[in-house]
Formats: sequence, structure tokens, C-alpha cells
Amino acid sequence: MMPIDLDLPRDPADGLAAVVELRRLADRLEDAEVVRAVQDGWTWSLIAEALGVTRQAVHKKHAKRLKGLGVEPRRG
Amino acid sequence: MFERFTRDARTVVKAAETHARGLGSPTIEAEHLLLALASHTPPVAPLEHAGLDHDAVLAALGAARDRSLMAVGIAAGDFDLPPAPVTRHPRFAASAKTALARAVKASAARHDRRIAAGHVLLGLLAAEAGTVPRALAAAEVDRDDLRTSTMAWLDAT
Repeated sequence: MMPIDLDLPRDPADGLAAVVELRRLADRLEDAEVVRAVQDGWTWSLIAEALGVTRQAVHKKHAKRLKGLGVEPRRG
Repeated sequence: MFERFTRDARTVVKAAETHARGLGSPTIEAEHLLLALASHTPPVAPLEHAGLDHDAVLAALGAARDRSLMAVGIAAGDFDLPPAPVTRHPRFAASAKTALARAVKASAARHDRRIAAGHVLLGLLAAEAGTVPRALAAAEVDRDDLRTSTMAWLDAT
């Protein structure tokens, strides 16, 4: 993977489209990494700390989905 | 707003939500309207003639996504991510609302009484930036040609 070179001449259309796709990619990456973290024994609190958000936010966003996947963290 | 939509156009709008849900999108975007049009039966003739069925649009969206990420040095294939989970209640986002507002405008500009699937397509084609024009470019479909054939199709139906 090449480092992001913000000096490369680029049509802003490409850059802006990249922003959109990076946000979507980040969301999917978050979904996948939260599952991995829980499977590794992370608590909601620690996941929240890693993401820089509140425990409530992480729980609200991911708990139901993980439950549906049959993945549950330890209490915390 | 939807009172003046034809049954086909309403079906397309509803189908867009289904496509958004299936793709795991939290929002309904213009691209989901395009997918809905491309999946519609009977087929939307201008899309059919441009080779844009559902699979072609999906492929074009993927190609455009990969191209956009590559522009900042990211190879999407490097991320071995599971597919996005189905979302339950995606909400209409700006791109879809704008496309539909433009569909209404397109109908008015043509002095057509109702807003049909063809107008929804015109609304999508009015976008100069964003995912839909980039997907069309990835599919090597000329926006102006598609707009012309859509107008002709609306004239004929």
C-alpha cells in the first residue's frame, strides 16, 4: 500500500470521491474490528477507549449486531 | 410529493430502500435509485440499451469505488472485510433527495403531468458530481447520450 501523497496532482473530484469511499471503508473496518476485538476478549469500555468514543455509543452502535452474530463481550 | 409519481416511479423509490438495505447502507443514496431503475421490470429502455442492468450497475459502482480509493493510494482489495451487514431502516440521504427533487423539476420542465421512472433517471443524470456520474463513467456510459435517450423514451411513452 502506497502512503497517501497529498501533493500528487489530482482532480478534486477524485479526492472528494475518495473521502466518501474512505468513510464507508472506515465504517466497515470498524464493524469488522469491533467483532475481532470482542472475540479477543475486549470489553465495550476498552473498545470505546480505542475508538475515542463513549461506551454507550459503541454499545448502541454495535451490541445488537454482535448479538445477532452470536458474539458477546465480557461484562464491561 | 409522491402523489404525482407514477406507479413505476413509486416502485423504483421503494426498491431503492431494499437495495440500500441489502448492501448494508445506513442511508438510501442516488446510487440505490440507479440500481432500482436498472433492476426494474419492465426494463427501463435507455438503461437497457446502455447495457446497464443491475449487475452492470453494481460492477460499475464497485469499479468507481476502487478507482476513487486508488486515487489516494488505497487498494480496496487489501482489506479483507466481510460484506456489510444488512441494515434495517436506511434513511433517504441528500443524494437521493436531490435526485428526486430534480426528477420533479425535470417533469415540470417537460410539462409532463406526472413523475415517471424516466424522470427519476433524468434526476439522477443531472448530478455532476458524486457516485452516480462516477459509476456511469466507470461503465463507459456517456451521460449526455443517456440523457438524450431518456428524453426520447419519455417522449415515446
